[in-house]
Amino acid sequence: MEGRHSIELALPGASIGAVAGAMAGGLTLFAGAPTGVAAVSALALAAPLALFGGLYGVLLGHGVLRPGTFGPAGLYWMAAFPLSRLLQESVAGVGGMADGLLPFVAYQAMVALGFAIGFVWMHERLMPYWLLRRAGANPRAKALLGSYVRYAEALRARKGARR
Amino acid sequence: MDTSNTPPATATPPVEDQRVWKAGRLEPMPIRKLPDAPPSVHILGPTVFLVALGVGMGESYMWPRLVLLFGPEIRWLFLIGVTLQAVVMLEMARYAMATGESIFSGAARVFKPLMWFFFIVAIAVYIWPGHLSAGAAAFEEITGIPWVVTAVIGLILVGVVFSLAKVIYNVLENVLSLLIGTLVLGTAVVAAMVGSWGDVATTITGMFSIGYLPPEAMSAAWFPVIVGACAFAGPSGMQQMWYTLHLRDSGAGMGAHIPKVRGLRHAGEEEAMPSRGFMFDTEDPAEMAKWKGWRRWVTFDALLLFWGITMLVTISFTVIAQSAVRIDPGVREVIRGDDREVALTAMANAVSSAGSSVLGTIFLGFIALIGLNATLGLFDSFSRGQADMTYNFVPGAKKLRMSHLYAGFLWGVIIFGILILLFGPAEGPSGILDTLAFLSTFAMGAYCVTLLLVNNRMLPKPIRPKWWTNVIIGFGAVFYLGMLFYSLFAYGVVVG
Repeated sequence: MEGRHSIELALPGASIGAVAGAMAGGLTLFAGAPTGVAAVSALALAAPLALFGGLYGVLLGHGVLRPGTFGPAGLYWMAAFPLSRLLQESVAGVGGMADGLLPFVAYQAMVALGFAIGFVWMHERLMPYWLLRRAGANPRAKALLGSYVRYAEALRARKGARR
Repeated sequence: MDTSNTPPATATPPVEDQRVWKAGRLEPMPIRKLPDAPPSVHILGPTVFLVALGVGMGESYMWPRLVLLFGPEIRWLFLIGVTLQAVVMLEMARYAMATGESIFSGAARVFKPLMWFFFIVAIAVYIWPGHLSAGAAAFEEITGIPWVVTAVIGLILVGVVFSLAKVIYNVLENVLSLLIGTLVLGTAVVAAMVGSWGDVATTITGMFSIGYLPPEAMSAAWFPVIVGACAFAGPSGMQQMWYTLHLRDSGAGMGAHIPKVRGLRHAGEEEAMPSRGFMFDTEDPAEMAKWKGWRRWVTFDALLLFWGITMLVTISFTVIAQSAVRIDPGVREVIRGDDREVALTAMANAVSSAGSSVLGTIFLGFIALIGLNATLGLFDSFSRGQADMTYNFVPGAKKLRMSHLYAGFLWGVIIFGILILLFGPAEGPSGILDTLAFLSTFAMGAYCVTLLLVNNRMLPKPIRPKWWTNVIIGFGAVFYLGMLFYSLFAYGVVVG
């Protein structure tokens, strides 16, 4: 049950990761690859990005990461994104590592920061709505929702103080 | 649940304080408590508007085009343009967060005609629906639906959504956020897949080739184009000024004391809008500590969200453009021409011809998305800015609610836009095109001067800008106005 509760928190992040990874399919087609290879390429990126995206949600639920902060999320994706791309290149190489491993990883780590901005941005939009739906049956979701609600209540209190 | 606002702050009880801060000849600002700064560096904030407005044709078309024509070294001008805009953003935020007033009110406190100048420029420059054409044309390429149809439906949809929304800010922020999130994730994946360390190395070293201007760039044909691209690096025209309205509506700093603008259907629920902003006690160390917290918060927004996203999108589009030319060298010639739609289509076709139409569609999809973002943001911001100036400075306007004025300007610009799309020149009458381009860039130099005056004369000493910030903003005024007038006098051409 505990496992299921954690996995539920993973859903928004996993969805964002999967959709972002699926975009890779179109790009592989762009490189002239046959449709089958493009599908494998998309899957090879979508799967690890979904996994790491989901893990991000679970870490939020366990209090390891804080909602909405960028720094830790940026570091997280600087490790996770190059790993995902490495996996994709090793399963369905599309010539990204032509310059060698180190320049490849360094470049991907840099792009990862941009990816992290988009990821956290989207996650912050979707997660609260998902938590609202799941809070009744999932104590972890309820606890995490609590932190979002505290933000909202503090905001309302500030509005009340306005004149 | 609403988490779409500026990160919340701890409540402070209302304090009846009789003291006021006198700024200019207008009504003094009562002293009130500054709300606590957000507890953490939170990623949600009104910068989303500036990003939505700022990431536009400059990033997706103008700069990739210049890089293809003059090489990556030309990007040093982009670095200057975007960095300058990040500092402008921080300074716009300084006045808005300290007072809860827009920069337009600040300008009126210095010299009222200055504000009326911006009022007129906004109408002259922003009522023409030409900015819709690039996004709608890209949508036509994908779907085959004529762009005028898309543009008209888009206009009506924008009006209906903003009229029905209970609190416009929340709806707009949510919609724009999802669109921008998709754009940022997509461009990051594109950049990761098609770019390489080599591309980034040339782009980054190119950004530091300060002073590089090839002889061809210093010509009547290209210098005005470069001036235009510099003005379009990041938010252009009056977009930074409108950002102060979004900051206020999101409740940042003293904006927490000002009610929000509502949609027409909910206008009756709006609280009375005060006729002036508020000031906090800058002699109180506790208040100053909170102020520092707010400055940290907006600095994070300026550096990471605004600067970072703008850079990411431009670099990604430059990489795509470079790939397009590698695939089909003929694209370079098309891009030299000054027909934006033809060039964008050629770039999309080049990447499509490499194997599949999918990437071409993704590319055009991004252009359509950028167009949609800009349109949503522009219509809202224009109406918000004009309503703010009308409400505060047109005699008798306070009989109406701010929401009614907002709706009036919004539907005015929509109806005018539809009429022009159907019967007139979308960019504006060709005879005044140069004047409009001139005004748009001139406004940027003018707001740098306005910022210097407002922040250094209308704010209490402890929260005025540092000398080096003034130097940068002063440089901004010289940069925009200098390039504009040099182009005008040396080449007889305004902006390309």
